[in-house]
Amino acid sequence: MSTAKMILNLCDAVGVSGFEDRAAQTAWGMLAQLGPCETTQLGSLICRVHEAGKGAPHVMLTAHLDQIGMIVSYIEENGFLRVSNCGGIDRSLVLAAQVQVHTENGPLDGVICTIPPHLNPDDGKLPKLEDLCIDVGMTGEEAREKIALGDRVTICGQARELPGGLVCAPSIDDRAGCASVILAAKRLAAAKLGCTLSVALVSMEEVGSQGAYTAAVKLTPTHCVAVDVSFAHTPDAPRAKCGLMGRGAMVGIAPVLDNGMFKQMKKLAKEAGIPYQTEVMGGATGTDADAVAISGAGVRCALLSIPIKYMHTPIEMVCVTDVEAVADLIVSYVRAEFGGDGNAL
Amino acid sequence: MLYKYIERLSGIPGVSGNEEQVRYEILRMIEGKCLYKVDALGNILAFKKGRETPKQKLMISAHMDEVGLIVTYIEDDGLLRFTTVGGIDKRTIPGKSVLIGETFGVIGMKAMHMKSAEEREKAADLDTMYLDIGAKDRDEARKLVHLGDRAVFCSQYAEFGDGFLRGRALDNRVGCALAAALIESDLPYDCHFAFTVQEETGTTGGKTAAAQIAPEIAIVLETTTACDIPDTPPAKVVCALKKGPVLSFMDRGTIYDRDLYRRALTIAAEKGIACQPKAGVYGGNEARSVQVAGEGAKVLAVSVPCRYLHTPSCVVNRFDVDETRKLLPELIGAFGR
Repeated sequence: MSTAKMILNLCDAVGVSGFEDRAAQTAWGMLAQLGPCETTQLGSLICRVHEAGKGAPHVMLTAHLDQIGMIVSYIEENGFLRVSNCGGIDRSLVLAAQVQVHTENGPLDGVICTIPPHLNPDDGKLPKLEDLCIDVGMTGEEAREKIALGDRVTICGQARELPGGLVCAPSIDDRAGCASVILAAKRLAAAKLGCTLSVALVSMEEVGSQGAYTAAVKLTPTHCVAVDVSFAHTPDAPRAKCGLMGRGAMVGIAPVLDNGMFKQMKKLAKEAGIPYQTEVMGGATGTDADAVAISGAGVRCALLSIPIKYMHTPIEMVCVTDVEAVADLIVSYVRAEFGGDGNAL
Repeated sequence: MLYKYIERLSGIPGVSGNEEQVRYEILRMIEGKCLYKVDALGNILAFKKGRETPKQKLMISAHMDEVGLIVTYIEDDGLLRFTTVGGIDKRTIPGKSVLIGETFGVIGMKAMHMKSAEEREKAADLDTMYLDIGAKDRDEARKLVHLGDRAVFCSQYAEFGDGFLRGRALDNRVGCALAAALIESDLPYDCHFAFTVQEETGTTGGKTAAAQIAPEIAIVLETTTACDIPDTPPAKVVCALKKGPVLSFMDRGTIYDRDLYRRALTIAAEKGIACQPKAGVYGGNEARSVQVAGEGAKVLAVSVPCRYLHTPSCVVNRFDVDETRKLLPELIGAFGR
C-alpha cells in the first residue's frame, strides 16, 4: 500500500476525541502483524513490537488517533442540535459546512446553520459556536429518538491525493503521524534491536493528552518518540513559527524535550540524507510529548513533526515525503541507538 | 424522475457565464418534448404546446446559473486569488474545498493556533483568502488553471431527515428541474419556457430571454431564503420549509402583480395546495428584468423555500417541491384563461 493510501485509509475512520474506536480498529489492522495489540482503559491502541527483557531500554513510538470535532450538547424543541467543541474548532470555517452526526446506529447527515445575510449585520464578526446549531432535518421528537447527547459530529471533507505528492483530508492531524509510526514500526519489527519497542496510538490528545499520559504510565518507556503535525508555512502565517511543507521531518527542540535525542536525530538525518528542519518551541510543545515526558519517573522524549497546512480544518494537507521522512528518521534513530545483537544493553 | 433531475442538475457546475454543462443536461431532458432554441447568451428558449392557446402569452423562467468563485490572479508561489461571482457570504468560504473544472483546491488559511484573539473573532476578508491547488509555483498552477476559470464548492448531495435534500446548486436547479418536468407533462395552455443564464450577476439572461419571448404573464420559478432556524425572530423567518411554495408580493427588485399574487393564493387554497407568502421584503430575482422586457409583463414569483442559500449546503424539502409541482399547472390553467 502506498503511504498516501495508508494515510487516507487511516483518515477514513472517524475518531473524535473520546470516541476513537473506529480509528483504533483501522490502525489495529495495520499493526496486528507486528506484535500483540491491546487497547487501554482510555481507548489507546498499544502494540508491543519488540521485547528485549528486563532492564533493557524501552522505546515508545507514539502518535494520536483522535481528531477534533464537536459533541452534541442539546437538542432543541424543533430538532436542531446545539454542539460544543471537542478540541480546537476554528469558528471561521464552520458556517454552512456539511457534517455527519455519529450516532450509535451510524452517521446522519446535516448542515451547520448559517444565518442569511439579510438578518445578519455585516459587522465582520464570527458567531460563537454555542450560538450555532446543526440542521439534521428532523422534528424534536425524531431527533431525540435517533441522536443522543454526547454523540460526536465531524465536518465532512474531501479526502484525496493531490498532484505533487500531497494528501488532503480531515483528521490528517494526526493520522499522518500514525502512518509515520506504523511505517517505522513495520521496518523496525524486522530489525535486530537491543531495546523493547512499543507503539502507542493514543486517544484524547486534542482534549488534554490523557491517552498518551496513561499509555506511557502503562508502558513505562525509557525513551519516547512522539509524532505529531506542526504548522507548514502559508503566506498569511508568520514564517518564523512555521516549517516548510515538503522539506522533511521537523525535529523539535524545547525545554521539555530531550536534548540528546534532538542532537542525535539531527546528526543521523544529516548522515543518512533524510530531509529535516528544526522546530523550536519555548516551553511546552502542545503535543503528547509534554504528557509522556512527565509520566512516571519521567521519560526522555523527542518530537518529530510533519508540516501540515490548514491544521484543524477539514482540508488539512500534508506531503507524503514528509510523512516518510519522519518514518525514516525514527528507523535510523532506533537502529543507531538501540540496534545490535538483540541483547539488553 | 423529478428528484433524479434535481440531484443530477444540482451537482453540475454552472457558475454565471459558464452554464454550458447545465444547459447540455437540460437539453437532454427536454429534447423531443418541446420546440426549443439556444440564444446568443446561452439561454434555452422553449415552447410547449398545450391543449389550448392562452388569452395572454405565458412564460415560465428558471435560471440555470449558480454563484461561485472566479480565479483572478496566480501568485508566484502557485496560490490563486479569487473573487466571488454572485452573492456569497464571505464567512462561509474558508475551510471549504472547491473544483475548478477537474482541478481540486481548498480555501485555506493559517491555523487558528496562530491567530490572535481578535483574528479569531473576525471573518476574513475576501482579498486575504487564497485557493491552494497544491501547485508549487505559478508555472505549475498555470498548467492546471487559467484566469477567469470558475470554481464551485465541493458538496455531497444527501437526502436526510424527514424528506430534506442537501446539495450545492439547489438554487436554482430545483426550479430548472420543475420546469423540465412541466415540459414533460400535458399542459392546459401553450407555454413558453426560458432556462436563463447569469441571473446571479444581474439577471442578464432573464432580460434577453423575455425580450425575445415578450410574454404578457410571466412566472419566475425560483428558490428563496428560508430562515426557519432557531433564534430567528418570527418576523424575520421570511418563509419556512414544509409549508409549500413561497409567493412574493414584493422583494428588493420587484413589486409583483397584485392580481396574479392574489389569484395564486386563492387557487392554492381552492385546490388544497400548501403555499405561503414571502413574509418580508428581501432579496430579488430575474422578475425585475422580465417585468420590464418589451412592453412589460405581469410577473409572479413562485419559489421553493431553501435554507442556507448561496452556500455549498442548500437545503430544500420534498414536500415543498411536490406542492410547487402541483401548483404550477393550476396557475397555467388559471392564467391562460
